[in-house]
Amino acid sequence: MNDIHPLSAAIIAGKRKDVSELVQACITAGESAQFIVESHLVPAMAIVGERFKNNEIFVPEMLIAARAMKEALKILEPMLVEAGVKPEFNAVIGTVEGDLHDIGKNLVAMMWKGANIDVIDLGVNVPPAKFVEAIRDNNARLVGLSALLTTTMPAMRETVKAIREAGLSPKIMIGGAPITHEYATEIGADGFAADAGSAVDAAMALLKS
Amino acid sequence: MDRQYYLDLAASGLKMPIGTHLVLHEHADHDAIPNDGRRLGGVIEEAARRFGCPMALPLMDLKLEKEALLLARGVAPAEIDTFHFTETPGGDWEVPLTRKMGAVCEAIQYIAGQTDLLPVGMGIGPFSLMTKLITDPITPVFLAGGGATADEEEEVELVERLLQLASKTIRLYLNAQIQAGAKAIILCEPAANKVYFSPIQLEESHDIFDRYVMDLNREIREQLRAADVDLIFHDCGELTDGMVSRFATLDPAMISLGCSRVLWEDARLLPKTTVLYGNLPTKQFYSDELVSIARVRELSDELLRRMREVGHPFILGSECDVLSVPGYEQTIMAKVDEFLKSE
Repeated sequence: MNDIHPLSAAIIAGKRKDVSELVQACITAGESAQFIVESHLVPAMAIVGERFKNNEIFVPEMLIAARAMKEALKILEPMLVEAGVKPEFNAVIGTVEGDLHDIGKNLVAMMWKGANIDVIDLGVNVPPAKFVEAIRDNNARLVGLSALLTTTMPAMRETVKAIREAGLSPKIMIGGAPITHEYATEIGADGFAADAGSAVDAAMALLKS
Repeated sequence: MDRQYYLDLAASGLKMPIGTHLVLHEHADHDAIPNDGRRLGGVIEEAARRFGCPMALPLMDLKLEKEALLLARGVAPAEIDTFHFTETPGGDWEVPLTRKMGAVCEAIQYIAGQTDLLPVGMGIGPFSLMTKLITDPITPVFLAGGGATADEEEEVELVERLLQLASKTIRLYLNAQIQAGAKAIILCEPAANKVYFSPIQLEESHDIFDRYVMDLNREIREQLRAADVDLIFHDCGELTDGMVSRFATLDPAMISLGCSRVLWEDARLLPKTTVLYGNLPTKQFYSDELVSIARVRELSDELLRRMREVGHPFILGSECDVLSVPGYEQTIMAKVDEFLKSE
């Protein structure tokens, strides 16, 4: 990791305490919060996602990296707000009604945040109406629906239907262990990600299409 | 019980799904039945007869123990599904059996007293129950695996306390099922897997896996052994060889693994007295794109042939509970019927 910035390296390694110090060092050196996010945090999480996709690291290492990233954001977010800097894209994410599983959803939310998408996490067991309300209230460009169980997949169909019937047109991405591209197409979703590592590329492809 | 029973079932060429959920959902009032022990027993029997299985396999409802633990703690019923502990709970509290747990025990009594089927109970494993009790169990497990102690990290302290509470609740429920007549217990530990435990960390040492998974499961194994009840160990998560080897030390009568495992390779990790069960990708049965009916037959035939080649006792079956998916019931049942016809 010789050519990786020390802050990025600390995030990748999940060294939370080092991250705080390194963020402060960047600020002291005159770097803006936006520059730190875009030049150190986003590339770090991109590397984390890539290593996850390649089975070089696993979920625990991803979570530890995300924990370190959050430590950086804790310092940087007030500065971003003060400077009026907002991420280019925003998203609403949740596990669909009837399903209580959140690991996959959390990983995707974390990777999207790491790609500088403003993510509103609705949690688990989210009814379609709550997705509709959150998309409308936040003018969300992207929606992520997660389900782990085959028995809760039909709730994805209901959620997509409710979003469309409400006249909303965010890009809808679905994911979860039993989900396929075929199922995404069948229920009218715009896209599908096989895992958290590919969720950023899939989201960006949809948002920029 | 006589372990030869399971070896004989394997030798007889038995094929069976864990399919009670499928049959339950053929009943219009399927939501009410799990509260009624006699009717639940009837559905379990119906499933066993339907699939030609001499074992009466219960519903795989792995939320029962969390419900019991939290109700006893005073958590409102409506909040139980999403409740997570945020700080280490002190004190001790009695955990009464819930209505659904009582119904499971009644169902076991019915099977034991009124049928010729083997009464089988079920419980979640302590580690898997713990993961349902906090928002992020993965980070503290990783920290503990890296050497952090309960004194150093509050999250680790919380995990270790919840493991104790989980173990106590599970053992109480298993004891009730044994008293009701269960002759075997399916112990489901699906969270003991590569998502919750970093394979990179485990390459260095399995200490954390041994402390957080194996030690507590060993205690349950001793509880079953003392009652002459057999262990059927189930873990459909993604596993490492090291994990499977450790599960083998529990000396289960049967072990049921998910479809991420290659069973004919796993046979070398297990004693010949442990019947391997599984591991058709039944979570994908709803989709013809993922697994067609012809593919089910191919996979079944290959599993049977390969397992015969390695000479390990084997029962062809599902990777997990086969769940009834609304709108796909017939697709799933057709694939179950297909694998039951394999030779």
